[in-house]
Amino acid sequence: MTGYILKRIAVAILTLLLIMTITFLLMNAIPGSPFLTEKSTPEMIAKANAKYGLDKPLYIQLWNYIKSYLKGDLGTSLKMQEGTPVSTIIFHQGKFELSLKLGLYALLLAVTLGIPLGCIAAYNRGTWIDGFLRVITTVGVAIPTFVLATLLLVTFAVKLQWLPTISGSLTTWKAFIMPVISLSFYYLCYVAKLTRTSMLDAINQDYIRTARAKGVKTRSVILKHALRNSLIPVITYLGPVMAGIITGSFVVESTFSIPGLGKYFVQSVLNRDYPIIMATTVVLSALVIIMNLVVDIAYKIVDPRISLTSKEV
Amino acid sequence: MDGKFAKISPFQVDPDKIPQNIHLNDDDFLAAGEDEKASMVEKHKSVSYWKDAWRRFRKNTVSMAALFIFIVCLLFAFLGPKLIPYSYGDQYRSAQKLAPFEYSDDEKTAMSVAGSCDGFYATALQPGSRTAIKKGDYYVQSGGKTYAFSLKKAVEKSILILKADEEPALFVVKEKDIKDGQYDKDKIQALDCTDTPAEGASEIKLVKSVFPHVFGTDSAGRDIMARTMYGARVSILIGIVAALIVLVIGSIYGAISGLAGGAVDFVMMRIVELIYSIPEVLIVLLLQVVLKDPLQKWFDSGTSAFASAMSDLGSGIVSIFITFALLYWVTMARIVRGQVLQLKEQEYVTAATALGASNGRIIRRHLLPNCVGALVITTCLQIPSAIFLESFLSFLGLGVSAPMASLGSMCSDALETISLYPYRLVFPGVILTIIVLTLNLVGDGLRDALDPRLKK
Repeated sequence: MTGYILKRIAVAILTLLLIMTITFLLMNAIPGSPFLTEKSTPEMIAKANAKYGLDKPLYIQLWNYIKSYLKGDLGTSLKMQEGTPVSTIIFHQGKFELSLKLGLYALLLAVTLGIPLGCIAAYNRGTWIDGFLRVITTVGVAIPTFVLATLLLVTFAVKLQWLPTISGSLTTWKAFIMPVISLSFYYLCYVAKLTRTSMLDAINQDYIRTARAKGVKTRSVILKHALRNSLIPVITYLGPVMAGIITGSFVVESTFSIPGLGKYFVQSVLNRDYPIIMATTVVLSALVIIMNLVVDIAYKIVDPRISLTSKEV
Repeated sequence: MDGKFAKISPFQVDPDKIPQNIHLNDDDFLAAGEDEKASMVEKHKSVSYWKDAWRRFRKNTVSMAALFIFIVCLLFAFLGPKLIPYSYGDQYRSAQKLAPFEYSDDEKTAMSVAGSCDGFYATALQPGSRTAIKKGDYYVQSGGKTYAFSLKKAVEKSILILKADEEPALFVVKEKDIKDGQYDKDKIQALDCTDTPAEGASEIKLVKSVFPHVFGTDSAGRDIMARTMYGARVSILIGIVAALIVLVIGSIYGAISGLAGGAVDFVMMRIVELIYSIPEVLIVLLLQVVLKDPLQKWFDSGTSAFASAMSDLGSGIVSIFITFALLYWVTMARIVRGQVLQLKEQEYVTAATALGASNGRIIRRHLLPNCVGALVITTCLQIPSAIFLESFLSFLGLGVSAPMASLGSMCSDALETISLYPYRLVFPGVILTIIVLTLNLVGDGLRDALDPRLKK
């Protein structure tokens, strides 16, 4: 178990290094210089390049990034907030906190509502409840996040005026409702569909019949016997959910005017602020990679049958 | 047959139901004739895989309905633009911000004139606009002939009217001379007729009646239905092409990895794992920005047919394809590898190997045809995900670039004026959802129809 976890951590670090390299190469391939403005002369650009070490060969620049990241130093912003340390920008200006809060709430909603809905659908298989839930979840996985976000905005903020149009820094609970719902709805529906399918699989197993034959109550058959086994596919799916929620946050943050990390990443790419691009990519990727790691380990806890050492791809 | 076997038989045979008197004649033991053989073959016709799948698919009401709606969407996207006179980029200055089925004042005038005069109502390039008619050359194509006209002096606020007699004549009528759709015959100004159209002459489109703006128009005076049609077309095309790219790369990679096994498989699968764990959207966003200029340069310099075909699509779309080719094939590769691993243990593959078939032949003849079901399903479900990505990028201002319409960019344009004109968001959003929904349902139906595990 420990060996497996160590191996997974090694792979995770390797992935992160790979992502850093790709990001570094890509951002250097963006045409133009971060210091290029209408007034700047070639000398000024050269001077600025020298100041931030951008005149050195690429591999040295990359090595410098890796070295400073290992020390926990994310560099300083070149352009958007010139001179400010990137770690301050990301972690101390509320950006990371906002995005993380939004993402975690969305994840929580998807899981806490998706799994029970899936169970209810499976339990009432073939009835109108199941049919109704199936229609909702099928439509739910077909609506792009930005369509749902903007439709919610039109209905509840513009027409009914129940909720604020601009969510801002999410200071009130009302500001949370629409961003969290639009961010999590797709995953909520997907988790519900997944739970329903695997629950139906589980219900047809022999041990469920045995439990029923022993006279165990339906409620505990579902909750204790069937649910545990049907959770495995759901847990596997949580890694992709995290990645997807980060993707969705770009859209949701710009739709509801939330000054989070996702919105900032898009701006930093357009501004060619290299240290910010790099730091945002690494922080967001690390989130996804850690989530995948946690999911892989959670596997073992939910289903001891899964052998962690075998190389199942 | 007195029923005593029923006790030991695993099947519950009701002895009463066994026919008491079975009459068999000698004829029954004769060899079958040709006719009988033929009818036997006819009765037990072997059903091909696809026919069988189609039969099962047809029984699935939901998937059939989804397929039908998707075909309607296809017609809307590909046939629609041919049926309406507007295009995605045409801006009608006087027809801005119209609600669905609303006509601008100019269009109302135009309609009344078109109804009352014996000729056609026409105006240079912009049907329904009451702009100044610039001086210069115009030409009209009618009945296979080209008629050229020239206007020596610009005329303010007028409408061009074409008399479609044997020899067409073009007139300018000032707007103030039109009353209740009637114009004063004395106040029209005829244009000089020239023989051949001069270079750079503007074409005059003939308009018999003004086509309604079914979905309204946007702030730039562009018809929203036309833009939705073109946007849907872009989305569907991107989805299909991206899915095909993923199919080709993923299945080749997966097949090689699964077939080779050993160290090759190990290395190839570690690469897949690495790519799989990259949060691709971050890289995609960077790629979009990075590829924009180099692609544009390539378009401008390229003389090859490939480059010009790509340049018609625009750098945004091409970089979406590149993104799919780089990052999105891994799921397909995993699925194909899994299938190949299963299939290569089958006896017929061993037999083929024993008979000396090459690896290429085994892949082509035995492995790919047997995992075609999985390939079709995954490809079909890949299309919506490509459409999602395209619309997501366009929504963020990357992806498809203006003036080309995309459902995603239309939604983001609509966001600016959402409180006043919500329908601008609803139309592209709903069409996008319908396309993705129907494709998902068709994919589900295909899974049920093609998955051999469910086959009984």
